[in-house]
Amino acid sequence: MKDPHGNSTKEAWILCLILGIIMINFPFIHIFSNEDLIFGLPTLVLYFFVGWPASILVIWFFARRNGAEDENSSVDTGRE
Amino acid sequence: MISAKTVLLISLAYFALLFLVAYCAGKRRETKRSLLSNSYVYSFSLAIYCTSWTFYGSVGRAATNGLEFLPIYLGPTLIAFTWWFFLRKMVRISKQQNIVTIADFISSRYDRSALLGAIVTLFSIFGIMPYIALQLKAIAHSIDLLSTPLTAPELGFYALSNKLPPYIDTAFIVALVLALFGVLFGARHLDSSERHEGLVVAVAFESLVKLVAFIAVGIFVTYGLFDGFADIFQRFFEQFPERRELFRLGTEQTPYTKWFTLIILSMMAIMFLPRQFHIMITENADENHIKKAMWRFPAYMFLINLFVIPIALGGMILNGGDTSQADFFVLTLPLSAGHPWLALLVFIGGLSASAGMVMVSSVTISTMILNHLVMPCILRLKLNRQDFSGVLVNLKRFGIVGVVFLGYFYFRLIGDSYALVNMGLISFMAATQFAPSVIGGLYWKRANRKAATVGLSLGFLLWFYTLLIPSFVRSGWISADILQNGLFNIALLKPLELFGLKDFDIYTHSLFWSLLFNLAAYLSLSFFTQQTESEAQQANEFVDVFGEQVQPTQLKRISKAPTIMEFVELMSKFIGEKPAHAAITDFLSDHEVDARGSLPDHEIPQLKIFTERTLAGHVGAAPARIILENYLSTRGSEMENVFDIFGTVTISHAASREQLSVLYDASQIVSSGVKLQETLDNILELLAQQFKFDLCVIRFLEESNMTLVVKSQNGMTSDHFGQSERNLNMETYIGQAFLSNATTVVNDTDFLDKPASAQIIQREGITCFAHTPIVVDGESVGILSAFSRSVKGIFTSEFIALFENLAGQVGIAWRNDKQLYELLHAREQERELQIAKDIQMSLLPSEIPQLQQIAFAGLCVPAHHIGGDYYDFIPRDADSFDLVIADVSGHNLGSALIMAETRTFIHALLDSIETPAEMLHALNRFFYNNMSCSDLFVTMFYLQYHVNTRTLSYTSAGHNNPLLWRCRQKNLVLLDAEGLIFGIRQDVDFEQKATKLEPGDTLLLYTDGIIEAEDSSGEFFGIERLGKLIEECDHMPPQELIDRIMDQVRIFTGLRHFNDDITLVVMKVIE
Repeated sequence: MKDPHGNSTKEAWILCLILGIIMINFPFIHIFSNEDLIFGLPTLVLYFFVGWPASILVIWFFARRNGAEDENSSVDTGRE
Repeated sequence: MISAKTVLLISLAYFALLFLVAYCAGKRRETKRSLLSNSYVYSFSLAIYCTSWTFYGSVGRAATNGLEFLPIYLGPTLIAFTWWFFLRKMVRISKQQNIVTIADFISSRYDRSALLGAIVTLFSIFGIMPYIALQLKAIAHSIDLLSTPLTAPELGFYALSNKLPPYIDTAFIVALVLALFGVLFGARHLDSSERHEGLVVAVAFESLVKLVAFIAVGIFVTYGLFDGFADIFQRFFEQFPERRELFRLGTEQTPYTKWFTLIILSMMAIMFLPRQFHIMITENADENHIKKAMWRFPAYMFLINLFVIPIALGGMILNGGDTSQADFFVLTLPLSAGHPWLALLVFIGGLSASAGMVMVSSVTISTMILNHLVMPCILRLKLNRQDFSGVLVNLKRFGIVGVVFLGYFYFRLIGDSYALVNMGLISFMAATQFAPSVIGGLYWKRANRKAATVGLSLGFLLWFYTLLIPSFVRSGWISADILQNGLFNIALLKPLELFGLKDFDIYTHSLFWSLLFNLAAYLSLSFFTQQTESEAQQANEFVDVFGEQVQPTQLKRISKAPTIMEFVELMSKFIGEKPAHAAITDFLSDHEVDARGSLPDHEIPQLKIFTERTLAGHVGAAPARIILENYLSTRGSEMENVFDIFGTVTISHAASREQLSVLYDASQIVSSGVKLQETLDNILELLAQQFKFDLCVIRFLEESNMTLVVKSQNGMTSDHFGQSERNLNMETYIGQAFLSNATTVVNDTDFLDKPASAQIIQREGITCFAHTPIVVDGESVGILSAFSRSVKGIFTSEFIALFENLAGQVGIAWRNDKQLYELLHAREQERELQIAKDIQMSLLPSEIPQLQQIAFAGLCVPAHHIGGDYYDFIPRDADSFDLVIADVSGHNLGSALIMAETRTFIHALLDSIETPAEMLHALNRFFYNNMSCSDLFVTMFYLQYHVNTRTLSYTSAGHNNPLLWRCRQKNLVLLDAEGLIFGIRQDVDFEQKATKLEPGDTLLLYTDGIIEAEDSSGEFFGIERLGKLIEECDHMPPQELIDRIMDQVRIFTGLRHFNDDITLVVMKVIE
């Protein structure tokens, strides 16, 4: 059965994907590509190692919310 | 240092532990809930992505190229955003179609093409070789490092292996062991659709081990050897200020293009590497696990990469900046710091990383080889064996060993010339080539088999040329000449500067060209070539997997269908008897079986599909199809179309769900049995709403003036389109559609070839429209039209088919309505006529006047229900009466009405008019004044008889002359009096004659029905026969005479019924 929220969640996921691709590519990362140190760490290293867990949190958050919606439909999506 | 023996023992013990884990998992499955239903197992098993490349290679990459190791993990994190719809869709499809490998997936999507399966398999074999080589290299090297102290080489592993023949090195032994475990884990049974419970649990366990090992060494380096992250960075920058570049991007080392390329490659690799496909899709036990894995797997990658930079920097600091052995810093740092047990843990972690990948990859690729290279050959050779299943499982085992050793040979050939990461990227690039065919196949119905075949082949070719050839050159296996001068000395064909594209790194260059050719061929061929019917059906099943599946199960049947047992035998041949019986029991449990143990006809195609899919789970989709087709064709069975019972309302398989639902709604409307007008209105409303037309019109032909008249319309009110009538000619589109009995479509009104229509259409702002004839029994009866103001090109061929179907439904509604109307009408008329008949009969004399000396009889037989004949006896006084007989031409309602009128007139004037002549004169005037416009005419004979004087006075208005039988003289006299038919002239003189009757005389009055009764040769009964009858029967009473006459007329004509009204009146003077 078609999930009534399927399309909007799908769009949200794609939006996140596009945002993610932009945020880890040129020219966006060029902002952080310098030789400054923050807390003794290079800016770019800090950017990735803070941004990465942040994006994982976003997935976690969305997947949980999505999960609440899909709990009912999982009964009939489960089998096939 | 650790002795080689210890390393070997520990390794073997670890493998034994893995096997124990796998075994327990298998046991547990039989007794309790399967471990695979645990979402952590699924999430951890996905980490098979992190191989020894991650485990050792990331650090090496970080040391030499800085942040360049990151994209390999950032890409999968990003693509995880799409898993809930993208990965889940692939899982759903694979479960439905029993797909087990990526080759199966692509081949299934494109019409179960055996060729595509073979291409993908070959591609995967070539693509996986460097990757397996990489793992073997890593394990072999780590063993050597761990057990061979540079100071005392004779104690190490080399010392052990030196006793063996020279071609057997560490990597060879590793390959052998891994192949053995691959066979043990992955090919104990043939059934590849059944999950490899043990293998997956073992992989998940390995993932846990490698994570723990890596974090352990990370913490040891960061906080044991150094004082935290900041400390390492600080010391590194102090020692190597010139290497600050490592932590920037857009440098010469790592340009942004390369960064981008690596992200794309890793995004595709995580989805399409054969082993990832196997673990993520084939081994998925529950779609909801994906939701958990979406964040757990990226989190895993984050954790395992957290200490990569500190270890790399630490290694460089401690090694004085030397990066030549950076790939193995993870191992050498604890070793040189005097922690061999930690190094051993790291080694086990690395072993886990490699072993998991090699085992799963070899099992997967072996399945692909078996299903897509070996099976088609076996089937083509038509080897006829009772049971293939034993042979197949051995072939699969052989395949696993073969795949591992292919990797080994690649390692021997290329291995030492490349760093770990570079070898891995060659495989990633190969997996990326599957992306267009898979993604397009999931979301684009038009994508077809030819396009995928050509696209993949081109991608493969370019990949081989731009990536694999340079790696061969680097290893010295082929001459460097091709790199410098290009193929055949053509500069444009240099593998690293193809078509003159310079200044990019090798991966960006290769990605660009291979994907460009792949995509271009895929897109353009999909656009310009057509799908076959079965291809389109398969495309629908893939793209619409989450939609409601419209199964055209009723449309096909199998002639000379095999029985259930025959299907079971067929399956047993390939998968063994037990699994075949288990499968069929499963199938039959939710299907009805009749008393004789066979399936109803329409279930057989489903059993065929089931058999095919079951086989597909073991031998792959394409071979399964070939098996079934061969089997059915040797039996002489065929899939045949079942004719659509709806006749005109046929539906193509290509019709979308939306369109089918419109047709369904329309048929509901038609069969709902409401009035025609309501039906038409409802259909138009449906059409207008569903497809957003601005105007929809139904016109029907008005036969009286041959124009098309609007019966219903929906949408904008426009004088011209919605309301006016249309003449039938070829000048207008609607006329053309009607006259040529074919749909007329204009998808863009900027291009019109009928000037008469063009002006109006453009004035109304119509952008496209279509007229389709409403056809009933092969003839147009009307036109269904749709107009749109907003969109051009609505009328695709598919849509036109739908549109024509709707017109067909309107036709059915129209015909139903017409038939109903005609039936009702006929009934109504019948009832009316019955009433009229009753009325008319009551107008005739119901009883014969009883007079002395005179006997009467009268009979009136209308040809149909009602007639125009009339007779009457009208007593005037005790001894006189009038007798009238009249014949109104025709025998319809009009005649009957005039007859009634005549009777009323006579009865009304009886008192005021004395003589017959006067009566006829008055009647003539009346008819002349009132009936001149009708085409009916009336004849009449009117007589008056005085009983006492026995005088008969008579007049005639053009009526047949009555016969008078003179009994005494025995002769027959015609009573003739001059007079014109009524209503011709205003004043007519009616001659009145008189004669005296004698007792025994018989007078016969009649209408022309009697003398004009025809026999089969067309001869009239005639006045002579009538006269003779009277002569013969002069003794008979009047009623008997009439009966006799009627009998004789019936005998003469040979018919029971007469074509004309018949009236007879007999008057006899009694003696």
